[in-house]
Amino acid sequence: MALVELHGVSKSFRKGEEIIRPLENVDLQIEAGEFLCLMGPSGTGKSTLLNLVSGIDRPDSGKILVDGIEITRLSRSQLADWRASNLGYIFQTHNLIPVLTAYENVELPTLLLKLTSAERRQRVELALEAVGLSDRARHYPRQLSGGQEQRVGIARAIVAHPKVVVADEPTGSLDATTSEQVQDLLQRLNRELNITMLMVTHDSDVARIAARQLRLDRGTFVESHGEVPRC
Amino acid sequence: MLMYVMKTLWRHSTRTTLTVLGSAVAMFVFCMVGAVQEGLDRLASGLDADRNLIVFQENRFCPTTSRLPEDYDRIIREVPGVSDVMPIQVWTNNCRASLDIVVFQGANPEQIRTSRPLRLVTGDWDRFASQPDAAIVGTNIAKRRRLAVGDQFSIGELSVRVVGVFESRVPSEENLIYTNLAFLQLARGQDGAGLVTQHEVALAPQADADRVATEIDARLRAQSIATKTRRKGAFQASTLSDLVDLIGFAHWLGYACVGLVLSLVATTTLMSVQDRFKEYAVLQTIGFRPLRTMRLVLLESLLLCLVGGSTGTFSALTMLALGGFAIGAEGATIAFEPTVNLGATGLLVSALLGLLAGIAPALGVSRLSIVSALRQP
Repeated sequence: MALVELHGVSKSFRKGEEIIRPLENVDLQIEAGEFLCLMGPSGTGKSTLLNLVSGIDRPDSGKILVDGIEITRLSRSQLADWRASNLGYIFQTHNLIPVLTAYENVELPTLLLKLTSAERRQRVELALEAVGLSDRARHYPRQLSGGQEQRVGIARAIVAHPKVVVADEPTGSLDATTSEQVQDLLQRLNRELNITMLMVTHDSDVARIAARQLRLDRGTFVESHGEVPRC
Repeated sequence: MLMYVMKTLWRHSTRTTLTVLGSAVAMFVFCMVGAVQEGLDRLASGLDADRNLIVFQENRFCPTTSRLPEDYDRIIREVPGVSDVMPIQVWTNNCRASLDIVVFQGANPEQIRTSRPLRLVTGDWDRFASQPDAAIVGTNIAKRRRLAVGDQFSIGELSVRVVGVFESRVPSEENLIYTNLAFLQLARGQDGAGLVTQHEVALAPQADADRVATEIDARLRAQSIATKTRRKGAFQASTLSDLVDLIGFAHWLGYACVGLVLSLVATTTLMSVQDRFKEYAVLQTIGFRPLRTMRLVLLESLLLCLVGGSTGTFSALTMLALGGFAIGAEGATIAFEPTVNLGATGLLVSALLGLLAGIAPALGVSRLSIVSALRQP
C-alpha cells in the first residue's frame, strides 16, 4: 500500500472574476521511502498539491490518505497534531524564526512531541549533525549564509522523524554551488534515513535527484521517466 | 515558549519599552486614583465611622467656626446609649481643600490614649500628658514635614514640641497632630477657654446611633448653642463633600487610564502580530495548533501589560509609602495609603487588560490562512 494516496483531488481558486482550476480530479500514489519530484512551470498547481498533501490547504473534492489516515477529514487542530508528528516541511525561503538560534529553530517541532529534554536535545543535535551544522547551533539566522539557513530548515523538517518530508522549491533562493550542496543533502537523507520525499521544482536539473519525476500539465500528471532518468 | 515570546518582544525593544512605559504611567495614575478612592471609603466606613458620633455646632462646617461649650460633655454623658465623650478642639492651617493640610486636635491625653487606636513608634505618653506644649504626630505628617521627637514645630501662631510619633489602624489619624486640650484652647489667637470645636461621642455596644444623635441635639437645643450630631463617617463625608465630588470625577480618570493601557497594548500587539503573520503560519505548518499560536499572542500582550502595570503599580505604592500623602478640607483628611488591596487590584487589572488587549490579534492568528500567510513577502 502506498504511503501517500490522492484520489480524485480537485482544487480551484477565484482570482477576480476568473476561476482557476490548477488540480482536476488528480490521482497519485507515493511509496514509502520514495523520492518524488513534481515539475512544471509556475501556476500549474505544484505548490497547491504540496500544500494539500501537507494538510495546510484543503481540496474542493477528493480525498488524501497518508499512512492510512484520511487527512482531508481532520479538523484544523487534528491536522496540526498530524503535521507535528508526520510531516516535515522545507520552505523555499527557509522561514526560520529570526529571534531563535539555529538550535532553537530545529528544536521547535520537538516541543510538540512527548519527549524528555534529553531525548529532545539528542534529536536536535543529530539533526544538526546530519546537515553538517553542529558548529553553528548557537548562531542566529542573520549570522548564517543562505545555504546554512536552508540546511537548518532541513534539520527542522527531519527532527521529528516525520513519515513524509515535502520541499517547496528548496533550492529556489540559493546560488548554484549551495544549491548542489542542498540537493546532495536531500538525496542523502532520502537514501540513508529512508525518508519519503515529495519535492516541487521548476528546475529540471534539480529534479534529477528524485527517483521519480512527474510533470503537471493542465491539472493532471504526465510521467517523465523518459525525459529525466532515475537517480 | 516563554523564551520565544520574550525574545520576540526584545526584537523590537524600542516599541516594547515605549509600550511598557506608557502602561506603567497609566497604571501609576490608576493606582493613585485608587488610593484616593480607598482613603475616602475608609473614612466613611472605618472602624469608628458608625459607632462614634460627632457633635458640631449647627449650620457650621469649618472647625474655626464651630464653638461649643466644653461642659456640654456632662449633658451628653447623661444621654442613654452614650459610653464616653471626648471634647476636642480642632485647629487647621487651611479650611479649604489642600494637599498639605495640618490638623491639630486638642483633647485630654488620657482619653486620646484610651479611645484612639494609636501606637507610639517613638516617644512616650507620660511626656505628652505632663508637658503643656507637647504634641504627638502621626507618621504621615511626620514624613511629610520631616518631624521627629524633640523637634519644635511651628505653624501660624501655634508652636509645639514633638514628644512622640504614632501610627494608627485608621490611616487618616496618621495625618493628625494631637495636643493637650487646654494648650490648643489657650494658644495665641484662639481665645477658646472653655470652648471646643466638637464633642466625639463613643456609643455603648447596643446603642442606636441615630436615636442617640437625635436625643443629644434635642437636649442641647435648650442650651446657648444648638448642635448637629451625626455619625463620624457621615460627618467626615459631609465635611469633605466638595472633595467627594472631585474624587468621584477622578474615577473617570482611572477608567481613562484603563482604556489607555488597553489601546496602547492592543495596538502594539496588533502591529507585532501583523509583522509576523508569516511566522505564525510557519509555526502552524510545523504543527503548532491554532489555539497554541493564540496563546503565544495572548502571552505576549499579557507580558507587556504585566511588566508595565506592575512597574506602575509598585512605583505608585512606593511613592505612597514614602510620601505620606493626604488631602483634606475643613479639618478632615483623606490618607493615601499603599495597601495590599491596591497592589493586587493594580496587578489584576494589568493582567486582565493584557489578556483583553491580545484577544483580537490572537483570534486573527488562530484563524489565519496558512497558505495565504506563507505567500507574504
